[in-house]
Amino acid sequence: MSALTFTGIRKTFDSNVALEHFDLDIKEGELISLLGPSGCGKTTVLRIAAGFEVADSGTVSVAGTDITHLSAHKRNMGMVFQSYSLFPNLTVELNVDYGLRTRKIARAERERRVKEILELVQLDAMASRYPHQLSGGQQQRVALARALAVQPRVLLLDEPLSALDAKVRASLRAEIRRIQTEVGITTLFVTHDQEEALGISDRVGVMSNGRLEQLATPLDVYRNPASAFVARFVGSMNELPGMVTEHGMVDIAGYKVATADGLSVDAGANVMLLVRPEDLAVTASTEIGLPGTVTASTFQGASTEISVRLDRLDRLVTSSMASAVAPVVAVGQRVGISVDARRAVWEPAQSSMNGP
Amino acid sequence: MAIVVTGSRPAHRFTRRLGPNLILLAATVFFIAPLLSMARFALQSVPVISLGWSTLFKRWSWGAMTEAFHEPMFGSTLTLSLKLAVGTVFLTLLLLLPTALFVHLRLPRARSLVEFLTVLPYVVPPIAIVAGVAGLFRPNARWFVNSNYSLIPFYVVLALPFTYRAIDAGIRAIDVRTLVDASRSLGAGWATTLRRVLIPNLSSAVVSSSFLTAAVVLGEFTIANTLSKRTFPTFTLEYAQKSSQGGMALALLTLVASTALLGLFTVFIRRRARQRGAVVVVNAAESQA
Repeated sequence: MSALTFTGIRKTFDSNVALEHFDLDIKEGELISLLGPSGCGKTTVLRIAAGFEVADSGTVSVAGTDITHLSAHKRNMGMVFQSYSLFPNLTVELNVDYGLRTRKIARAERERRVKEILELVQLDAMASRYPHQLSGGQQQRVALARALAVQPRVLLLDEPLSALDAKVRASLRAEIRRIQTEVGITTLFVTHDQEEALGISDRVGVMSNGRLEQLATPLDVYRNPASAFVARFVGSMNELPGMVTEHGMVDIAGYKVATADGLSVDAGANVMLLVRPEDLAVTASTEIGLPGTVTASTFQGASTEISVRLDRLDRLVTSSMASAVAPVVAVGQRVGISVDARRAVWEPAQSSMNGP
Repeated sequence: MAIVVTGSRPAHRFTRRLGPNLILLAATVFFIAPLLSMARFALQSVPVISLGWSTLFKRWSWGAMTEAFHEPMFGSTLTLSLKLAVGTVFLTLLLLLPTALFVHLRLPRARSLVEFLTVLPYVVPPIAIVAGVAGLFRPNARWFVNSNYSLIPFYVVLALPFTYRAIDAGIRAIDVRTLVDASRSLGAGWATTLRRVLIPNLSSAVVSSSFLTAAVVLGEFTIANTLSKRTFPTFTLEYAQKSSQGGMALALLTLVASTALLGLFTVFIRRRARQRGAVVVVNAAESQA
């Protein structure tokens, strides 16, 4: 069942289009991340859901009920903000109690719920502290507790981890997922950090220029990007220019590779192939694949990353191989790069937005 | 080898930053000297011609001040001025707080226009304002001009340059938008958000704005005199014409009392804010520095 649905949303700020034809359907209990670069419209989606912005056209509905024009304070959405949003004049306990009090819930019930939710975020010992007496991570946990205390229909998270340092971010990310799963609340999470999005989501929506480019599971978004933009934005990609020679074959500077389903362009067309580092293999022989010179080799434990400057293309490419099978190479060594283009994404050489 | 670090003596500290310290000293003398002279004139029962170093510690007395307290108009004019101050503070906050918040949240582009409007009382002399407004109201709404409380709207306008800045600085010091959004997402309407979140977090700005307003009211003479109202400043002048020493004593009392009160509240607000870790905005100039 749909918990939160956006249909045909359009939103402009003056003459700038923030969202265009935006559709999204979030299922009950699901955690969806909206991922995209700054200014792609992801926070606008969240603010429209919360009722802080009103869409120019389109509808927002919660469990089938249209809430497009419902005031923010009547929507029953829980929100955690990017900047610390705790009320500085209230203690942790009173911050969490705030939403319950506005709902005129009986005192005993309020006290029980505050205690319960603070235990859930493991901050019950800090109930009487003021926000300035807490670390950034603790403040965001209180903000999460405050949002959850009112038992919202949907939890909205607006880059809640971006102000925290890397270590705290990683642990809080795991905690958000744990709590979300435990409570079973439908969650819309906005982030520009792909590691965050891929790490905790049921599905990831990649956004660009106010549009949803792809909505799929994290694995699908990574392995089968729907467009060149998604391919470039999620993970890293090597760009190899080539020419289509026959159905499904591309000539990269004299080295012919086979793509999975063929390319819907005529032979002779110039294309740009986008290939993941793990689909490039380094061999010690220059006779195999594209010859080049090693510029860097980084052992990363389970995998080894090798950067090679290709002779014929004068381009730097990076290969990521399992350390067990990666050749031991030195900087300056001559090697060959073989390309597995079966999962490659392509685009016409002059454009950057078309997919396979 | 052991290195011994000794604290520099005060004289050395003064000479090390000689230029700034001399300027500070000159400024202190510039402000303090007239006040000390005022105090000597008001509180020493020595003829002006004899005031000098030799009489510095002679015949100090509260007499001039206590005499003024017994004047029949003292109590009523002081009460009226205090009432006007309270009324002006309330009306100012009632108008300015929502306006400043609205401008910050909904009309950020209008901020420079509002700032420009609030400095207009600096440019337009009070006499021009009162002459214009009184000229309009006398034939049309005489009851308004006749009431002592007709001074309140004038005082609100006069205090605008100070009060708006104090509130504006307070709003800039906190993330108003996020606090409002957080409050509303938790189910609070505008009234609850204002009462439970914004006013408590703007308390230092509200208090400093209130004191600046009160200070303007307790010192305003031109408008009250033009509209023939008997406020404390007009009484002080009238009394000074009768007893120059008593008038000076009253002026000194007003100055000391309002400064002490402002100081006390500043300490109170700072202490309270420190307990909560909140940002303190004591006055607009400080916050913008």
